[in-house]
Amino acid sequence: MRISDSRLRGIYNDLLKKSATLDDSAVPQILAAVGDSSRLSFKNLLAQLSAPGLTKQQQLDLCLGGMTNNEKGDICQILDEGEVPMSPTARNFLEALVGRSALQGNDPLQIIVTGDQKNGIAGIAGPNVTIEAINLSTAPGSRLHVDDTMVIGRTDEFGRFMGSMDDVQEGDIIRMRARGADGKVGEWVTMRAGGISAQDTRHAVVALSRVGLADAGAGKLKLEAVESRPLTEPGARLQLTNERTGEKTVVTADENGKLAGAVMLNGKPGDVFSVAATDGQTNTDFAVETGKLIAPGGASDNLVVDLPDPAMCKDELDANGNPKFELKRFSGPLFHNGIAPGDVEQGYIGDCYFPAAMAALAQAQPEVIENMIRANGDGSYTVTFKERDWRSGGYKDVEIQLDGDLWARSWGSPIYGASGGDKSQKKMELWWPLIEKAYAMWQGSYEAIGNGGLSSDIWEACMGRDGAHSSVKYMKPDSLWAEIKDAVDNKLPCGAGTYGESQEALYTNSGIYANHAYSILGYEERDGERFVTMRNPWGQSEPAGNGRDDGIFKVTLADFQKYYQSFMTVRD
Amino acid sequence: MALPPEPIEEVLPQAALVVEAEVESILSTGPAQPPVQAKPGATGAPGRDAPDQTVKLRVTKVHKGPAGLSELVVLKPVAGYALRAGNKGPFLLDDAKPHPVILGRYGPDTWNLGRVLEGLGAAR
Repeated sequence: MRISDSRLRGIYNDLLKKSATLDDSAVPQILAAVGDSSRLSFKNLLAQLSAPGLTKQQQLDLCLGGMTNNEKGDICQILDEGEVPMSPTARNFLEALVGRSALQGNDPLQIIVTGDQKNGIAGIAGPNVTIEAINLSTAPGSRLHVDDTMVIGRTDEFGRFMGSMDDVQEGDIIRMRARGADGKVGEWVTMRAGGISAQDTRHAVVALSRVGLADAGAGKLKLEAVESRPLTEPGARLQLTNERTGEKTVVTADENGKLAGAVMLNGKPGDVFSVAATDGQTNTDFAVETGKLIAPGGASDNLVVDLPDPAMCKDELDANGNPKFELKRFSGPLFHNGIAPGDVEQGYIGDCYFPAAMAALAQAQPEVIENMIRANGDGSYTVTFKERDWRSGGYKDVEIQLDGDLWARSWGSPIYGASGGDKSQKKMELWWPLIEKAYAMWQGSYEAIGNGGLSSDIWEACMGRDGAHSSVKYMKPDSLWAEIKDAVDNKLPCGAGTYGESQEALYTNSGIYANHAYSILGYEERDGERFVTMRNPWGQSEPAGNGRDDGIFKVTLADFQKYYQSFMTVRD
Repeated sequence: MALPPEPIEEVLPQAALVVEAEVESILSTGPAQPPVQAKPGATGAPGRDAPDQTVKLRVTKVHKGPAGLSELVVLKPVAGYALRAGNKGPFLLDDAKPHPVILGRYGPDTWNLGRVLEGLGAAR
């Protein structure tokens, strides 16, 4: 190694001779050695560099003013070939000096992004910290809050990291932060991904189910958030066009992708608004509609469309084959406070496998549900199922169009599947009863789906993935436990069925019911005991000692193996 | 068929007797129901019901009906549950002869005692 600057060579050789580490205390001398010049002596520069309160960046700027190319080459040699060990922060200082990386501040949880994102997200922070990130451009479509980060990488001993995220496209907004070993987190750093492709082609994702319109009187409608997750990506602009009047209103999302507050629009109950969104790069002319919003309470609440409805089960038909109940129009939101297992309650129909499957799916992959049903803005909905395509060997989409009519009791509560919350016509969350209705339409009637079945058939119809079954009885407990853990950890919907014929007495007084399907929501190991968290699709009725009677309970693995005959999930 | 319990408000008015009791013995069991064709592992298939049973109950508390009842012979209908000695819970019974019939889709497991007492309170 040949260091051309004599003073730098002396400092370096001294460290070498003492077997010392090149740490922050040696940095000012090195900076002064390479930054001195005919106008500023080593001694004076060192004095300035050592002045109290000077930031690292100011030290760097002072040095850069006098550094020659030869001196820069000396630093590169020390970095690449030097035998003197270096502290991570001193190395970062010298790397910043020669332009190899950005200068890390004093905060080890401060992230600096370096370069473009063609091969990943590169940057520096303190040594050995975890880097977490979320793609704010896709988060609205994935039911994520803005702090639902994933770990994308970890810094090395020099504070460098190369993070890896799936599905990052040109122009996406990535928010990151560092997390230390003690759990403390640094400030958010937000950046727009670049260098990935020639142009940004992703339209701003908008989750319209997260906002609602309400009549504010005097010809005004109030647009406001109905849940805390982001509506779209930060800074995206939404154009709402009142289809009755043609008036257009543009609103801009805040730095978290939410409405800054309630927005007042001109309109009246029943008005339909076409919504288009731009992230400033795509759809800037608002030519592509992302969805519609309807102001409740008006004509569109009524029979804008009236589509055929599936026939009731035969038990609900009179001697002449006429339904004993009436159809009522439900017009509540598709989603209320997101999607959760508690949204699902089985009605008076023998399709326990269906609500059990949907509650498990709501737990494991709610985005599948969010993506399979949409409101069309005219009082109708489209539910998209998957059907085996025997020619291709894969799955093809089957779209079912339906309206909000549900068979209901005289006082309004639905006969078949209902939401776990408010069951009134204008407020009930609709995704579950409408998916059940759509499935009944697809299969021919409620009778066709109300005579038992397999939860895995429902997952196949929703996800286009093959089901997987295990007979619990003959499995070794460790193998069963591993299967349950594997499914839950991989966010695969899973469930279990109890025994039927001749086994009913096993269940009496157990709080578990024969010939019945249950969702598996999770697992837990406590004090050496293994527990499986189950949910009864009735939304009630559970073994004693499990808190509120909401159908959710824990069962030991031994009891799971005693009471359940089958474990079901989908193939990974 | 693993249907949810009926609304208790619909069943309570039919109950001539509401007791807390334990099954002392099974006196007789009716014929088994014919097997049902279903996919392996399928749940909720209809007809998978347990046969009727005539059972003797030892009554521990009467919430509705004549005070002083200590024993009852009752009929468990063909249903999705079966009883055995030692089973206990709240029993809602009609006034059928010769034996009252157990009401509620799952007998003593249809509603917990708190829910039954709440329903009785509301009905009074």
